[in-house]
Amino acid sequence: MAADNIIVVNILKKESILHMLPKENLLDDVVNNIENNLVKEAMNAGRIPIGYTCSFVPEVLLSVDKLFPLRLHAPNITGTSSADVYMPPVVCSYCRSLLEFGMNGHYDFLGGWVFNFSCQHMNRCADLIQHSVKPKFVHVLDALHSNTENTISWMVDELKILSDKLSSHFNVEINEESLSTAIIKHNEFILIMGEIGDLRKLDNPPITGTEFHKLMIASQVSPKDLLRKTVEALRDDIKKRDGVKDYRARLMILGGILDDPKFIESIEDVGCLVVGDHFCTGSVPGLNIIPEGPHGPLERIARHTMAKPCPRMFDPIDNRLDSVLQTVKEYNVDGVIIEQLKFCDPMNYYGLAMKEYLNDSGIPVLRIDREYRLSGEGQLKTRVQAFIESMGK
Amino acid sequence: MSKGYYAGCDVGSTTTKAVILNSQGIIADSIVPSKTDPEDSANAALDEAIQKVNGLDRIQDLNYLVGTGYGRTQIPFANKNISELSCHAIGAYSCDPKIKSVVDIGGQDLKAISINEDGSLCDFVMNDKCAAGTGKFFEAMSRVFGVELCDFSSLSLEAKKSIPITSQCSVFAESEVLSLIAKKTPPREIALGIQESVANRCHVLLRRIGIREKVAITGGCAKNAGLVAALTKMIKLDIVQLSIDPQLIGAFGAAIFAQRDSKAS
Repeated sequence: MAADNIIVVNILKKESILHMLPKENLLDDVVNNIENNLVKEAMNAGRIPIGYTCSFVPEVLLSVDKLFPLRLHAPNITGTSSADVYMPPVVCSYCRSLLEFGMNGHYDFLGGWVFNFSCQHMNRCADLIQHSVKPKFVHVLDALHSNTENTISWMVDELKILSDKLSSHFNVEINEESLSTAIIKHNEFILIMGEIGDLRKLDNPPITGTEFHKLMIASQVSPKDLLRKTVEALRDDIKKRDGVKDYRARLMILGGILDDPKFIESIEDVGCLVVGDHFCTGSVPGLNIIPEGPHGPLERIARHTMAKPCPRMFDPIDNRLDSVLQTVKEYNVDGVIIEQLKFCDPMNYYGLAMKEYLNDSGIPVLRIDREYRLSGEGQLKTRVQAFIESMGK
Repeated sequence: MSKGYYAGCDVGSTTTKAVILNSQGIIADSIVPSKTDPEDSANAALDEAIQKVNGLDRIQDLNYLVGTGYGRTQIPFANKNISELSCHAIGAYSCDPKIKSVVDIGGQDLKAISINEDGSLCDFVMNDKCAAGTGKFFEAMSRVFGVELCDFSSLSLEAKKSIPITSQCSVFAESEVLSLIAKKTPPREIALGIQESVANRCHVLLRRIGIREKVAITGGCAKNAGLVAALTKMIKLDIVQLSIDPQLIGAFGAAIFAQRDSKAS
């Protein structure tokens, strides 16, 4: 399916919650299939997908020449029985899900894998993928845990090692010029997505949180250049819509990797609207462009990456707390839902601190432990409904 | 339509409860086993309650109906649905405005609820990922002993000491209890150990919301005197004796909301 053949249709769902496209649409295919139609289209053109697992792996570095990045996800996974042999149930279910899909051959089409030392669970996942999947190309990036001139310098060296390895293994040209071009294209795409994201700040946003989340996931799990026309068409269409008026509360989602749009759909099903998000696979900080600057492209990428507010970083937490509070104000949020993957140690610490900080700032917070794949939809809805009732909404 | 009849219907996982109010207070209630379809459960509970009221013939004669419980969104004839957490909060508050903390032990989940000064929901935590510490858990334990639920409670109250049950999972706990029975451990001591194990889970949830006096237990398991005694001992606070059947508190709260919302509209 060509990306620009998509027909943009508005469907009015129950209680005026808008849904943008029919079921058979391209976004659903992209979000629900790792080897989706856009990935196949790119591969048929001779391009090579490189899987990555963490937002600290710079997508632009994997977007040069015939390479394209794919953030690894495990859509509609039903269990992790194979991975459980190697990873106990106290390991985060995202890592276990990736290993399960890897062991079952779902990622065999990838040209290579790039991990980051995100956390101990992901390190273990990287080891086990190498042990059991045996990919032809694997690299583990060592992004340090604080953002200083020294760690940026380290990151530049790390990125250079990775780019050299990619160049030699895949016979691609990675130099200042190709990287600068990749940055420009990346920024252009991010700006289009940002235009859509900014519509959520309106009193009556013309896009729901579920729709926006689908778009965000789609932009990470398919070649951006092939998705771009669709996203531009959607942007133009969404701008013409009437906004959602009858919602009970404006919520923001904060937390860990979230790949299932049904999670946000369940929240919105009880009548609220998710207008903001603050997690690595969401819009903040995902829709920050790589700024211009006096440095070379690798250093610009390194500085942009290391500045991401992530629970894995050991920087003073105040900056991250302030960044969240700023997002709350910018999107006029009534309450925050902190969703965290069970057994995610960085997020456990961060979530607790964040709850106290937001409560002290007068923002109601609901903390939810969850598995990677949505389960217990009814209980989730009960919690969210009770949460907005406790806010008097 | 008749005047002045407001109802709440709490469609739970195990039982469905209905309460009908008028300006004088509760005039009818019912508790029926839940069916597969929440709509059928609501119909059965409401029909039974309606039959007890002179001048009320059918659900459509109610002035306002609020649905709550896990099946709350599946009651097409309800005017509104409200979460069971808010309903238990207002229901307990209406029994005694000094109640600030509630433990609701339902068929399949366990909740601790903190209540504001006006009876609205302040905060809550839920344990709904497994059957441990819920009505299903007690059903399984009673089955192991081969006694009815009420006899299980009485058995635990006879014990002078308890045998700790270490398994939180109801499946493993059942296996642990069977092993203890096989070792000829006195059943009453095992029964008390089970009550203390569930009381501990309630205590943990209560601590997470911050225990504030007065404390009440709602839901079907509140009728388990052995559990109430174990929790009282653990939290070192008296547990309020509610003025109505604790299993009806959710439906009662929903009926209060129905009365309020009807007047507001």
